Amino acid sequence: MSKPGIDGHWRGGIVVSRALRDAGMELIFGGFQNVKQIVEAAIQEDVDVIGLSIHSGAHLAYTQQIIDLLKEQGVLENIMILVGGVIPAKDFDKLKQMGVANVYGPGSMTSDIVEFIKTNLKK
Amino acid sequence: MKNEYNIESLIARFKNKDKIALAKLITIIENEPEKVSEVFKYFEEIKHDSYIIGITGSPGVGKSTLTGAISKKLLDEGNYVGVISIDPTSPFSGGAFLGDRIRMTNISLHPNLFMRSLASRGYKGGISRAAFDISMLYEAFGMDFIIIETVGVGQAELDIYNLAYSIVVVLVPGYGDAIQMQKAGIIEIGDIYDINKKDFGGEDIAAHIQMMLDDGIFHSGWRPPVSMTDAITGEGVDELIQNIWDHKEHVELSGIINEKKMNRFRYKIKELIYSKLESLVLTSIISQDEINSIVQRALNDNKFKIYQTIQDKFEDVDIQITEKK
Repeated sequence: MSKPGIDGHWRGGIVVSRALRDAGMELIFGGFQNVKQIVEAAIQEDVDVIGLSIHSGAHLAYTQQIIDLLKEQGVLENIMILVGGVIPAKDFDKLKQMGVANVYGPGSMTSDIVEFIKTNLKK
Repeated sequence: MKNEYNIESLIARFKNKDKIALAKLITIIENEPEKVSEVFKYFEEIKHDSYIIGITGSPGVGKSTLTGAISKKLLDEGNYVGVISIDPTSPFSGGAFLGDRIRMTNISLHPNLFMRSLASRGYKGGISRAAFDISMLYEAFGMDFIIIETVGVGQAELDIYNLAYSIVVVLVPGYGDAIQMQKAGIIEIGDIYDINKKDFGGEDIAAHIQMMLDDGIFHSGWRPPVSMTDAITGEGVDELIQNIWDHKEHVELSGIINEKKMNRFRYKIKELIYSKLESLVLTSIISQDEINSIVQRALNDNKFKIYQTIQDKFEDVDIQITEKK
């Protein structure tokens, strides 16, 4: 779970992280990181899912950069990307077209996020 | 389509210093213990030359931040550094919130650094079962230094003692009085003591540690030094690092390192034997169901015969181990 760029709103990321912990998952809280740091952490930790919590309005740019870097490293196929935060509904499809598995805007239920990961993560 | 990885192709990439392969091998070792011996078949001839530093102390004392500061110094000097940071697994959900990497963001892109967060997964000694195995992989990868940061410990999680060659015990102001320092366990295993968060005081803690050390007998000729740091500003960190260097020199020149290396391997061998024995006992002498029914009888039927039952159980069986033909 990480927050790309400069964006101080980290409560959402903490709440979701806690829900995943309580659902029996191992969650690495990366906090504020730039896109390169997020990709390097994902590689070294060999994660199944990258969660991006973005409230800055820059979700399209950051997500695209992260996906490009993952592709460059050859690990994109093995990692599910979820984006959450203040994301306008009109951008949901744009994110999904980039390769994001699901998007969670304000009002999302943490139980839905847990369920989505458990259902869609195939080892 | 997901990429499938097999051990053989990962090993080939690993030998070319591919971090993705190292990360995948760690995952295999951590999640599939039955494959560990297969992985290490490829590493029979590795040298065990990495120097292992252990960082331990209570939760929140600054272990991760100090680990980051020490790593930075090592990286600046051109070393390859492998970090293992362990945080606890929830006894309720089995999940974990791993929050150590976040303290080391400033060095996370260094090409000579590899850092892995581990959950303790029920392992009690302040590390995780896989920590030893990962330290072996790091050695095979060519790390000059390995830093193992334990979970936030209390008094008796001492397994780091069996893994690391230099142990830093990190304390903070308000830790306790002179009596606390006399207790056995974590407070006596330090080769180096550090009182972090010195901006909150802590001179009294340093004095208590010195008093504790005054009463000590140092068979190896090393009296642990005590430093005071503020890990966030970096104040005092150079002194702490110098103390680690001095200790490293001491264990290497005195030859104590050989005993420590042997200890590290003995610890793993014993653990492997015990876990084999445990599964052997649970499958052939007493089953989990039987254990549950003994508990049931003791609690619900007012027949507290735990000691007698186990004693009888082992007297009833003839344990004989014969070699397979």
